[in-house]
Amino acid sequence: MDIGDFIKKIENEIEEITPGVLKADTNYRNIPGWSSMHALIIIALIDTEYNVTITGSDIRSCQTVNDLFTIVKSRV
Amino acid sequence: MTPFHLQHKTILVTGASSGIGQQVAISISEMGANVVITGRNEGRLTDTFKKLKNTNHQQIIADITNESDLQQMIKVVPMLDGIVHCAGVVKPFPIKFISKEKIKETFTVNYEAQVELMAQITRNKKLNKQASIVFISSISAAHPHKGGALYAGSKAALESFSKVIALEFYTMGIRSNCIAAAMVKTPMYEYSEQNASKETMDEHINKYPLGVGKPTDIANATIFLLSDASKWVTGTTITLDGGFLLGGM
Repeated sequence: MDIGDFIKKIENEIEEITPGVLKADTNYRNIPGWSSMHALIIIALIDTEYNVTITGSDIRSCQTVNDLFTIVKSRV
Repeated sequence: MTPFHLQHKTILVTGASSGIGQQVAISISEMGANVVITGRNEGRLTDTFKKLKNTNHQQIIADITNESDLQQMIKVVPMLDGIVHCAGVVKPFPIKFISKEKIKETFTVNYEAQVELMAQITRNKKLNKQASIVFISSISAAHPHKGGALYAGSKAALESFSKVIALEFYTMGIRSNCIAAAMVKTPMYEYSEQNASKETMDEHINKYPLGVGKPTDIANATIFLLSDASKWVTGTTITLDGGFLLGGM
């Protein structure tokens, strides 16, 4: 698993993000227009692409993209 | 004599291991019904069984989505005066990620199982005249939420199915109705809270003039629909939402 690839996938699914802007240390809550819909999309994306279940509380407990990636990696 | 009781009625409750199903089973036993409970989890189903008031109850461990479990259940189930369909799952998923597998996951439990159960029960003549069927639906059938394509869709399908039962079996005096519930404090609620953000959930709850529901609120309306007090009620949906859909908050 590669974090660059992970970031690209998220950028691809969330229209509000300009490609290239999202970094490993970005706090995704600071993405302009961040909403519960984006949390749903990230949960579904991870389920679909990595076959890993993460919950809303995981999304809440994480701060950065890298935090999230670490969780996904630990559950693959 | 009040018609608001369930004496001499045998009622099947699906999804009775937890949440609304468990409370419905307990409440209707308190109203005098002979209760037949089913669920997948033996331990949790037995917990429910122990909580039933009075005697004359039966528990059937069965996964109603499983063909052979369903057949087995139909064989042992007694003649029924009512069925309460409480089995259900909620898994929020945005549209663009929906797959055949995801559709199946929700629709098998929330729709197909109820339809197959009703088909088998009626084909095997297990319903007494004047029986009452109750489906636990959701306000999301008519008022969906983001990520609810499958859940809301399955509940909408269930509400239509209930109306067809009302049409096909009225000559036997059989009635069929739905309860469209808004947010109720159950394990499913805890699950949703984990999946939505806490803020989203709190914001949602603040829109309930009478607060979120309790399983007993659903059970009490179910008792009405199962009892002879509702003998002129069929093919309809009762909304229980603590005033949420008023939309004024």
